[in-house]
Amino acid sequence: MKETLTLLPAILLTTWLGCGGNQEATEPANTGVNGENAEKTKGIIAYTPQTLSNPFFSVIGDHIRAEAEKNGYEILIVDPDYDVKKQSDQIDDFIAKNVTAIVLVPCDRLSVGPAVKAANKAGIPVFTVDAKCAAEGAEIAGHVGTDNFQGGELAGKAMIDALGGKGGKVLILDLKRAHSCVLRVDGFKKVINAHNKEAVGKIEIVSELDGNGDRTKGYQSTADALQAHEDLDAIFAINDPSALGAYTAVKEAKREAKIKIIGFDGQLDGKQAIKDGKIYADPIQHPDKMGKQIVQLVVKYQAGESFEPETLIPATLYTKAEADQDPELK
Amino acid sequence: MKNLDNGKLLSDYGNVLVLLLLCVVISVVTLEEQSPRSTAAAENLAAIIVGGAGKDANILILVRRGEGQQEFANTLKNTLSKAGLNVTDTVVGTPADARAALGKQTEALDVIATDEHMAAFCLEQLPKLAKKYPTLANTTAYQPKKHLWPNFLKKENLLNVLKQISVVAIIAIGMTMVIITAGIDLSVGSLIAFSGVITALSIQQLSGGADPTTGHLLLGCAAGIIVCALIGMGTGGLVTLFNIPAFIVTLGVMFIAKGLAFIFSQSAPIPIANEGFAWLGRGSDLIGLPNSVVLMLLLYGIAHVIMTHTSIGRYIYAVGGNPEAARLSGVPVKWVLVFVYTLCGLLAGLGGVMEASLHITGDPKSGTLVELQVIAAVVVGGTSLAGGQGKIFGTLVGALIIGVIRNGMNLTGVEAHMQSVVYGVVILIAVMVDQLKNRAQKTN
Repeated sequence: MKETLTLLPAILLTTWLGCGGNQEATEPANTGVNGENAEKTKGIIAYTPQTLSNPFFSVIGDHIRAEAEKNGYEILIVDPDYDVKKQSDQIDDFIAKNVTAIVLVPCDRLSVGPAVKAANKAGIPVFTVDAKCAAEGAEIAGHVGTDNFQGGELAGKAMIDALGGKGGKVLILDLKRAHSCVLRVDGFKKVINAHNKEAVGKIEIVSELDGNGDRTKGYQSTADALQAHEDLDAIFAINDPSALGAYTAVKEAKREAKIKIIGFDGQLDGKQAIKDGKIYADPIQHPDKMGKQIVQLVVKYQAGESFEPETLIPATLYTKAEADQDPELK
Repeated sequence: MKNLDNGKLLSDYGNVLVLLLLCVVISVVTLEEQSPRSTAAAENLAAIIVGGAGKDANILILVRRGEGQQEFANTLKNTLSKAGLNVTDTVVGTPADARAALGKQTEALDVIATDEHMAAFCLEQLPKLAKKYPTLANTTAYQPKKHLWPNFLKKENLLNVLKQISVVAIIAIGMTMVIITAGIDLSVGSLIAFSGVITALSIQQLSGGADPTTGHLLLGCAAGIIVCALIGMGTGGLVTLFNIPAFIVTLGVMFIAKGLAFIFSQSAPIPIANEGFAWLGRGSDLIGLPNSVVLMLLLYGIAHVIMTHTSIGRYIYAVGGNPEAARLSGVPVKWVLVFVYTLCGLLAGLGGVMEASLHITGDPKSGTLVELQVIAAVVVGGTSLAGGQGKIFGTLVGALIIGVIRNGMNLTGVEAHMQSVVYGVVILIAVMVDQLKNRAQKTN
């Protein structure tokens, strides 16, 4: 009795495996597709971002859904919650489901490689949004991202503007493990360095600390920097959550009148903070365009049309002037 | 006596029924039209085309690239050619390749033999292309007939489920033993990351950073596993020598191992420069079963024998049931505890190696919160946190239940936060069943 019970799942499992094979083999094939017996959908586009708890990725997801449905595709969205193991498992599930295309924001640019290669092997095209996959031999059919370097340059220009030509001391809150954020800082520094060569009011980057891209760490790092630098004039944070964390620390130190903050992303609470005067300006990304354009790449790929494999959408600067006009904000 | 045994068995393995029920439910909700891709399906499709098209019809074979697709196309081509039809071209590739091939047709094309994906392409593009190329004016596309079959019960998917639970299930063996002794080990998730980093670093060191040989890989794996076993031994030592609660000791080890993994790897994943390293995590050599699954089943077999047929197995139950009674009856309680924590650390190290193999990278971020999944698998598998009770195969079933739910929700696209709610409910139900079971046994 005991043995039978223990073996039961194994027996059933093998029966199923057997069934799966047989079913495929014995099923008669038949007439095919013509215009009239058109299928309901053209297939499934599967999307796995880094997380859906960051509104940036869910906005991309919403626009992927809208554009996919407009083009007759079904959409499947899952959330790996920053875990590359989960994401790889999800890609394996997509392959088993035999989806038409996979849209991916890699949780890790290297570790996701083997899963992408498995999709390549199964013949399923993989597209990346926002972040790229850098694993060797992993084939990416198309990419849509933000021009982060150019966005960083915009942040640099906004910084010069914010300091009103007088220059000053600046803190950078970075996130070194995200390549996109490194590019933002690089673009920022390029503009600041060029400015310092000519201008009288020089801008000095006094500290670069890890903001971890979130409020908690952004707050902690800024609080520490405020202790170390009594004369800090401005902060550049590589995204909105860390910029808002920085604001909390600045406000706590009652130095919000002097210290200007520049963020990045243009998430809703970031935009609201710009309207409220907490953040000076944001180079904003356009997740709506990203979601839409990645689906357009999938559609072009499926139609066998040629397309540019990499599209970088320029960031635009969002200041109080734009925020005051924004119907989304209170 | 016999009846009583059966009743006990049902309560011991009642979760098998839960698993089966889940499988049935998920099969029903993932029922979908499937397009067969076997060679037999290709032969059938060819027969239909031969029956439907004229004797000297021009045929183009269009199949999306991928594993097994070349075979499908070749079978189509051979069968059609044998029947005397004129196969103008065979394309196994991307939609772009298909478009190019359609543009190259010099004679009027009668039939396109295709698979599910290229059929979707033909459906949409053929009418447009026909306007441009007159050779396509009277072309019909044929694809294999679809049949209903649950996505869940597809062979690849079932293997995926087994593969995906393998790391958690293997560590859960050690965790089951720890929990049977009324302990807990919170450090296993961090040990996964630590082991992966140590393995990747050792391989890099041994091979001087380039082209590691298989020997280097094996030594690296051994390093990762042994280091974690030693850490487990240290945990066991602290628990027994200083009598600190396992919860606290392993919480400390969890933070230490996690931190060290980030320090040693300098916070960046360490790639391993040999694709062969993926053998354990992604390879499948034995009758199509993934290697990680074979390893998992093997370890469960061994663990089952240890727990049911050896004195150490009996000691483990005895220590969990009543440590004082066990000590008085001559059980080396302290050694038993050191043994289970060492084994748990060792298996976590192995899990780390498997994880690293899956991604060909030693990643300090891996293993986050895996300890909770492992504990969940053990608890859902019917092992009591109070100690003294539990079955190794129960844990495997517990891991399967969690894996099947996860897979089912991914296949049907259940939103992530909802998935979390469902896991929570499953764990609570499992614990409630556990309590009811205990109560029933007491009244017996």
